Amino acid sequence: MRLIAILVLLFFVAAGVVVGALNADLVGYDFAFARVSVPKGAALLAVLVLGWLLGGLTAWLGMSLRQRRLQRQRRKESGKTPAAA
Amino acid sequence: MMPWYALLPLAAIAFALGWWASRRRNARRSGAAVNELSSDYFRGLNYLLNEEQDKAIEVFLRLAEYNRDTVETHLALGNLFRRRGEVDRAIRLHQHLVSRPNLSEPTKTVALLELGEDYMRAGLLDRAEALFSDLVAMNAHAPSALRHLIAIYQHERDWNKAIEHARRLEVMTGEEEAPMIAQFYCELAERSRQHGARIEARDYLDQAFRCQPDCVRAWMLTGRLRSEEGQHAEAVQAYEAAIGADIAFVPEILPPLLNSYASSQQMDRAERFLRELLEHYHGISPVLALTRLYQQRDGQRAAVAFLTAQLRQRPSVRGLMELLEATMDRIEGEARENFLILRDLTRKLLEGQAMYRCSRCGFGAKAHHWQCPSCKSWSTIRPIHGVANE
Repeated sequence: MRLIAILVLLFFVAAGVVVGALNADLVGYDFAFARVSVPKGAALLAVLVLGWLLGGLTAWLGMSLRQRRLQRQRRKESGKTPAAA
Repeated sequence: MMPWYALLPLAAIAFALGWWASRRRNARRSGAAVNELSSDYFRGLNYLLNEEQDKAIEVFLRLAEYNRDTVETHLALGNLFRRRGEVDRAIRLHQHLVSRPNLSEPTKTVALLELGEDYMRAGLLDRAEALFSDLVAMNAHAPSALRHLIAIYQHERDWNKAIEHARRLEVMTGEEEAPMIAQFYCELAERSRQHGARIEARDYLDQAFRCQPDCVRAWMLTGRLRSEEGQHAEAVQAYEAAIGADIAFVPEILPPLLNSYASSQQMDRAERFLRELLEHYHGISPVLALTRLYQQRDGQRAAVAFLTAQLRQRPSVRGLMELLEATMDRIEGEARENFLILRDLTRKLLEGQAMYRCSRCGFGAKAHHWQCPSCKSWSTIRPIHGVANE
């Protein structure tokens, strides 16, 4: 299983290098406030990585916020109890 | 120039993939944790069942470190520490549990009950009493807390409070606690008798009879009170009623009863009563009492003849000892030496024997106790019936 994963990873790295080499020409982006020119392959990779990271972050934030809400709810439920001297 | 939003669909696909991967990773991690937790839990349980408490504690300690929110693990650990006699550790653990802010009310009361038991085991009865009283006031685990409170008051010999709480327990659970309450009244009566407050003692005995009309101890105390007041005929009636209430206590009741017969000069009645008792009771005590009675009235020969006949029907070491003592004077020479050896041997055999045993926990005792020193049950210690005992 691990070997298959490593082979798939190597395939994608090789594909990335090939696509990057084939699309080395610069492409310009107009963000209204700035204009940027980057290689086509690099732009593609940056967008993919950014999207992946943002997705992961959103999922993690959603879960941790839900856990905190549950803890706060439990604290509210626990009422008065006698003090253990 | 290529507009930047041309890359947006690709970014959306990457976002979705990243979100899915993160969720999957979290789910797998929590699943692994649960699996590890439950396998550890069952391993601990297995050690407990195999009476390997040290290993169980090790596993549960690791579990508690892994997940600090697991209340049940902490409770199990606390129980184990207490059972092993490490009361200070149990107290610390339960105190820590009680001080947790996010604990639900039912769990907190369970932890408080456990803490109270720790305090009891450590001998901190005042703290335990305060905790159990709080639990009763909150009506949380009230029956258990009341039982512990009654145990504390019994230990402190505060019989009035013990009665009050036993009555509350009776109302709460619907279970009959009257025999136990009767014993508490008997304790109060005994204390009053010792202080010379006879009227007060009689009042307490009336209360005991109201709780349990056939309370043997109350009848015996009544007999003793009457006997001390010189009312020997009434004492005889009370002692006979005590035997009627529970025939098992014959060895305890016979000595004062015979004294009362002698003081009220009712030896014919004594003989009739003992003869009748022989038919219902299969121990040796009435036989020995009758032997002594015949010895005084009809002489040694008649007494020995009666004892020998009885010993054939109910063999007993105590009876044999009595027979040896009675016939020793008539034997001389080498036979006497052999008889002396036999007598010493019999005496040693009797010295090591427990005469009473608790019918609930099996505790053996040489003297009679109304409350078992081991399991604290009332009226469960009874004479042992056997060749070497009663």
